[in-house]
Amino acid sequence: MKYLVRAIVFGLVGYVSGVWLTLAVRGGDPTDEVAVVFGFILALLGWLAGIGGLEAFGRQWIGKTPKLSEDHTWRRYFQFSGDHKVIGIQYGVTLFAVLLIGGLVSMIMRIELAAPGMSIVDLEEFNKLMSMHGILMIAVAVAGIIGAFGNYLIPIQIGAADMAFPRLNALSFWLVPPVAIGLLSAPLLGSFDAGWTAYAPLSVTNDSGQILFNLALIAFGLSSILGGLNILVTVITMRAPGMTWGRLPIFTWAGFATALLTFSVTQFFAGALTLITMDRVAGTNFFGPEVGTGILYQHIFWFYSHPAVYIMVLPGLGVVLELVTTFSRKPLFAYKTTVGALLTIVGLSVVVWGHHMFTSGMADFLHGPFMILTEAISIPTGVIFLSIMGTLWQGKLWFRAPLIMTFGWLFNFMIGGITGIFLADVATDIYLHDTYFVVAHFHYTIVGGAIFALLAAFFYWFPKVTGRMYNDKLGSIFAVWVTVAFNFTFMPLFWVGINGMNRRVGDYPEAYAAANKFASISAFILGASFLLFVGNMLWSAVKGPKAGANPWNARTLEWQVSSPPSHHNFLSQPVIVGHPYDYGGDGSPHVIFPDAEEPPDEVSLEEASV
Amino acid sequence: MRKSWLPVGFLWLVYTILILALVKYVNVLPTQWAEEAQVVDEAFLLLMYLAAPVMAMVLAVMTWGMIAWRSDGADREDGPNTHTNRIVVTTWLVLTSALAIGVVINPGFIGLAEIRGEPSSDYVIEIEASQFFWEVTYPNGATSFDELVVPAHMRVRYDVNSTDVHHSFWVPAFRVKIDAVPGITTRVFATATAEGSIEDDINLRIQCAELCGAGHAAMAMPVRVVSDAEWNEYITSIGGSG
Ligand SMILES: [Cu+2]
Repeated sequence: MKYLVRAIVFGLVGYVSGVWLTLAVRGGDPTDEVAVVFGFILALLGWLAGIGGLEAFGRQWIGKTPKLSEDHTWRRYFQFSGDHKVIGIQYGVTLFAVLLIGGLVSMIMRIELAAPGMSIVDLEEFNKLMSMHGILMIAVAVAGIIGAFGNYLIPIQIGAADMAFPRLNALSFWLVPPVAIGLLSAPLLGSFDAGWTAYAPLSVTNDSGQILFNLALIAFGLSSILGGLNILVTVITMRAPGMTWGRLPIFTWAGFATALLTFSVTQFFAGALTLITMDRVAGTNFFGPEVGTGILYQHIFWFYSHPAVYIMVLPGLGVVLELVTTFSRKPLFAYKTTVGALLTIVGLSVVVWGHHMFTSGMADFLHGPFMILTEAISIPTGVIFLSIMGTLWQGKLWFRAPLIMTFGWLFNFMIGGITGIFLADVATDIYLHDTYFVVAHFHYTIVGGAIFALLAAFFYWFPKVTGRMYNDKLGSIFAVWVTVAFNFTFMPLFWVGINGMNRRVGDYPEAYAAANKFASISAFILGASFLLFVGNMLWSAVKGPKAGANPWNARTLEWQVSSPPSHHNFLSQPVIVGHPYDYGGDGSPHVIFPDAEEPPDEVSLEEASV
Repeated sequence: MRKSWLPVGFLWLVYTILILALVKYVNVLPTQWAEEAQVVDEAFLLLMYLAAPVMAMVLAVMTWGMIAWRSDGADREDGPNTHTNRIVVTTWLVLTSALAIGVVINPGFIGLAEIRGEPSSDYVIEIEASQFFWEVTYPNGATSFDELVVPAHMRVRYDVNSTDVHHSFWVPAFRVKIDAVPGITTRVFATATAEGSIEDDINLRIQCAELCGAGHAAMAMPVRVVSDAEWNEYITSIGGSG
């Protein structure tokens, strides 16, 4: 803990000195945005130095050996550790906490929206809550699966001892808490009310909290880019002998596809936010109200933010594909075509951003091409559905919580995908754009597609990470509960959208009252389901029965090592000799350990957790 | 091996018919007040009809999976070792591509031409958005801040502008929407088809549809559709050069 305390102290000192230096140079007020910018930058550096980033990177610059946390106790979770499993758990816990905070904010929003008129907040406060909910949840969806499970599993699934760049990996994670702190402290400066999209020029002229939004998201972008780079290099260079591209587990493929995107498009969001920040503090005029370049901002923004939808959803696809093969005990149907589909989605996702802008006032000749390209994405997405259904086909379906969550995912993502067609079509989008139809649609794709997969992943890999089994009865009840409550919450929102209710509003005409009340009550029931989930996870992590190495009897590499895996994952070099999903085949394994002295199953937990 | 085709096919048929019936007999769309609304609603319904068999297929597999493919225990047997099936994959790719191409053509390009084409217009009304109100300027120069009055059966071109941040000019009853962008003029066409006011339908209103700040939710203005003669009388009565 002492490093964490040091990080907080150094961070605060950094903030104060940044503000003080600014005031010393140019005078003014401590809440001036320029002062906040320099405060934030020095706070970020102070935080990283405090947590141990200087020992990890700085020592090398002065010719000394870099130092990473070597702690093997629980304290390593609060330190600058390069261990990918520690980092995975750090990401998982941090982002789950952010998910709960974002969820609580949405509960306040649903209380306000339960009836027309204003009850607990005013219109402006509502916009600020909505913006906060949006960006917190976007952060969870962008980094949740890939940060937690990508970090934890990808090295194990490919037979590597760690990620390619452990120190960079630690840096990626330790950039995340300041992002959360920055966003959550924005209300001190009046918060931000321009939505998570931060459209200019509104985001140039609104309250100063926007500056913290910009800075936090730029830091988050840096974290994403470094994380993406790390995954790319790891998968390309660190695969065990025999792990050909054609034998790569599908979750790793999905993580690789995601990393291709995060590594190559995140810069655009960070760049757009940098321009807005310059407009606010440096007197530039990229997007000022009088110059009419707001449409340009939207182009840059969506050039990142449409691929970002796939950054959120691709890891979810990986999880779901992984789960259907384990729980139907069949090979992944059309593996090669599915991998091709994942990579096609990556390619297409960077050329479809214009469908967010059919009503933006952009040139009309762009409508046609963007419509064609957007509709084209339905073809690889359809292949993913084919692969899932083909794998389930006449399988031996084992309905445990992960598979029930997967069925919930399948239903939700189907609705999300189909309603997406209405938003890709110009005629219907011109009507539905910026209505609650869009709100319902993207909750079906992002909550239904990414968060449901995240929850399924929590269940599926829980025994691997903790060494203990969660309570499956409670898990199954949760899976059904969350699926039903989710659909009851968001299905009515399609209807209010189609019937003329616009999004991002704290108040609405009487005509939409009944449906909103229904949605609000369902939302509270949805929120309550998370108590059951958290309770189950916490209790089981401490008291759950020992799970053993391979409770699901799965074939991929992470299940062939102890639960949790030993410090460098493998006690001896794994050699990949077969396909990861060859269920029902001649019984030949996916992996062998030629030098193993004893089967990994017999490694005791005490030994393994050292 | 083939034993699931029949029940899943049957379920698929039943679900398809059910969903098609729902789309046909349960109307989710609000009242149309403009020719453009007919184009949008037709596109909407066509997409719903096309979606029916797709949804039905996923639902059929899920249902039959829950009924017939259950099995229990970690030590249970493996399923069949089918890695892929070239005929199924090829058929699937061909069908989904055909569906995508079909959707791009109709309602895609056909709807696009009708809704974003540049038809001639009978009148031009200027709309200027500001935080957080609308200013309407009629062809005779008369302006109004509290309602938009439009002539029925006349094609009106709306020239939309903003004085500060982005807003969006949206009349739900007409189904058309275009952002109000500072510095440029955007345009959209609408031809009202019947006389009425916000008293008849809540969707006869201009509603700002692009987050523009604190007053965004309240940035609405009633729309009233009257006959051409009444409209000419109205705009003369509120001023302008006639
Ligand atoms: Cu507005």
